[in-house]
Amino acid sequence: MSEELAKEIIDNFSNTGVSYTSKYRMYIQTPKEELFRLLEYLKDNGFKYLVMITCVDWINENEFELVYQVGNFNTPLRIIIQVRIPRNNPTYESIIPIFKNATDYEREIHELFGIVFDGNPKLTPLFLEDWQKFHPFKKDFDSREYVKVTFDSIPTLEEYK
Amino acid sequence: MINVTIVKVLEFIFYPFIAFVIGIILMGLFRKIMARIQRRYGPPLLQPLIDIIRFFSQRTVSHGKIFSFGVILALAGSLVVLLFIPFGKICPLCGSGDLLLILYLMLFTPISIALSGGEGANPNISIGVSRKLMLSLGYEVPFLMIILSVMSFYKTTSLVEIIKYQQNYHWAILNFPLVIPGIAYILILPAMMGVRPFDVASAPQEIASGPVVEYGGKFLGLNHIEHAIHMFIGIALFIDLFLGGGPNIGFFLVEMFIVFFIAVFINAMFPRYRVDQAIKYLWRWPSLLAFIGLVLVRIPVKF
Amino acid sequence: MDRGQLSKWFKHPGIMAQKYSLWAVYFCTGCGIIEVPPSITSRWDAERFGVMPAPSPRHANLFMITGYVATKTLKAIIRTYELMPEPKYTVAFGSCPINGGMYWDSYNTIKHIDKYIPIDGWIAGCMPRPEAIFIGVTKLWMMIDKGAATGYKRYRENYEYYRKNQEKLFGKLPWPPLFPIEDKNEKLTV
Repeated sequence: MSEELAKEIIDNFSNTGVSYTSKYRMYIQTPKEELFRLLEYLKDNGFKYLVMITCVDWINENEFELVYQVGNFNTPLRIIIQVRIPRNNPTYESIIPIFKNATDYEREIHELFGIVFDGNPKLTPLFLEDWQKFHPFKKDFDSREYVKVTFDSIPTLEEYK
Repeated sequence: MINVTIVKVLEFIFYPFIAFVIGIILMGLFRKIMARIQRRYGPPLLQPLIDIIRFFSQRTVSHGKIFSFGVILALAGSLVVLLFIPFGKICPLCGSGDLLLILYLMLFTPISIALSGGEGANPNISIGVSRKLMLSLGYEVPFLMIILSVMSFYKTTSLVEIIKYQQNYHWAILNFPLVIPGIAYILILPAMMGVRPFDVASAPQEIASGPVVEYGGKFLGLNHIEHAIHMFIGIALFIDLFLGGGPNIGFFLVEMFIVFFIAVFINAMFPRYRVDQAIKYLWRWPSLLAFIGLVLVRIPVKF
Repeated sequence: MDRGQLSKWFKHPGIMAQKYSLWAVYFCTGCGIIEVPPSITSRWDAERFGVMPAPSPRHANLFMITGYVATKTLKAIIRTYELMPEPKYTVAFGSCPINGGMYWDSYNTIKHIDKYIPIDGWIAGCMPRPEAIFIGVTKLWMMIDKGAATGYKRYRENYEYYRKNQEKLFGKLPWPPLFPIEDKNEKLTV
C-alpha cells in the first residue's frame, strides 16, 4: 500500500522526493509551497493523526527545516515530511485549518526558534514566562553568556551589604 | 448550701479542662493507633498538645473582624454544649429539657465556621462548608428519630433522669425496643465524629482541608481545641443515652475508650465516601432502623 | 532528642514546640519529590519526629525545596512562602538549589535560590535518601536551639534585596510588597 501511495505522491506533487529508512517510516521532502496541498491529500487518504511538528536549525546552509509527522490508525506507517524555509525573518503559514491540534506545537516552535506562523491565534509563550524575547534553541544563542548576565551577576547577600 | 455552691463553681471551671485533656488524649491515641495499624511507629501520645503549643506561638494572619469572630464563636458553641452533658457525677447545667437544647446547640459550631468562611476568600472553604452542612443534614434525620425514641421510652427530656433510670434498672441498649435505635446510633457514630468513611468535610487531599484552610496560627490552635472537645462530646452523648452513663468517672472512661476504639478501627479500614453516597447511606439503613425503633416504642407491643 | 525533658518545656515552650511539630507544605518542586512519599509512609516513618505533610501553607512551618526550580515555579514558590505564618524554616534538597547542579548553564532554571528566598539549610545529594532527610531535620533542630535558623528574619530585614532580585527576573510583580519598602527618592514635603 505504501508503494502505491509513494508513486501517487511523486506524480501529483512537483519536486518531491520519497525515501525509506525502515519498512514503516517514509520520509518526504517537499518545497514549502506544496505542503498545504500535500497534507490535505494525506488527510483524505486516511492519515488523520498529526503526531508532532518540530524544527531543525541548519545554520551553515542558512535555513530552518520544519518536520511534520502524520500517522494512520489502520497501519503502522508513519510519514515524515520535511520542509525548508529561509532563516532570515522566518514566517510560514499555519496548518490549523487542516489539523486543529497544531496550535500548541506551533506555539512552542515560535517560542524556541522564532518562526512566526500566520493564522495561529495564540502565539504566546508556553514555558518561558516573562521572557525577554530571546530564542534559546537557535544555534547562535550563547547559553553560558545569558546565564552569566542574568543569574551570576546578582550579588549574594553578604556582598550586597 | 455553701459547699454545694463551691462544688458547682469548681465544676464549671474545671469541667472544660478535664474534657480538653481527655480530648487531647483521644486525638493522640487516634494517630498512634492508626500508625500502629499501618505497621510503623507513630508520634508520641501528646503530639496534639505539642501541635497546639506550636500554633499559639506563630503570628496570625486575619482576614477581618467577622473571620476572627467566627472562630471564637465555634469554640464557644462547643463549650456551651459541653456544659450540658453529664460526665459521671459532674453536670454543671443539667435540668429538664436539656436533650432538646443539645439537639440544636450542636449545630452552632458548623454554622459559625461557615460564618468565618464567608470572609476568607477561598473557594475551598465554600466547598468544604457545603459538604459539612450536607453531611449534617444526612445524620440529623436518624439522630432525631433516635433521640425521640429514647425520650418517649423514658418519658422525660432530661439527661440526668435517663441516666438515673439506667443506673437503677439496666442499660438502655439492653431493653427490647431500644436495641434497634442503639444499633442505628452505632451506624451513624462515624458521621457524627467526622472520621472515615464520612470525613468528606475536611478532606486534606481533595479540598486542602476544607473550612480550615485559611486559619493561621492562633486560629488553628482554637480550632484544634474545638476538635478535641467535639470528640469528647460525640462519644459522651452516646454513652449517656445508651450505655448507662457510668456510676463514676472511671467506669465512664473505660466505656469511652471502648467506643473510641470501634470508631478508630472503622476509620482504618474504609476509604472516603462522596457526599451523595454518604447521604444515601445515612438515609437508608440507619434511618430505617431508627424509624422502626420509634414506631415500636410508641405502639406498646406485648409479647 | 530532648522531647522528654520536661524542664526545657517549661523554660521555653515556643522553641521546643516549633522543633517537634514541623508541618511541611506539600509543595512538589522538582525531581526530589520522589523521595518525600517514602519518608512519610510506613518504611521510614517521619511522623514519629512530628513531621507531617500539611495541605495548606497557612498551617505549615517548614518549606522543602526539593530539586531544581524553573523560573515559572519560582513565582509560585514566592507566593506560597509569603503565605506561611512566621516563624518558618526552609530546607533545600539536592545540589540544584546550591549552585545549579546538573543544570548549571541552563537558561530557565534558578542557580542560587538563596538570592530569591532565604534558605536555612542545605542537604547534599542528588537526590538525598530518606535517611539523609532525617539527618537534615535533626540538624535543623540543633540550629533552632541555637537560634541560627533565622531565614524569616533575614527576609524581613533585607526585603528590598530580595524584592529587587525577584523583580529583575520577572518584571513588575502582580502582588504588592510584603513588608513596607521605604522609597529612598521620596522627598519629604513640608
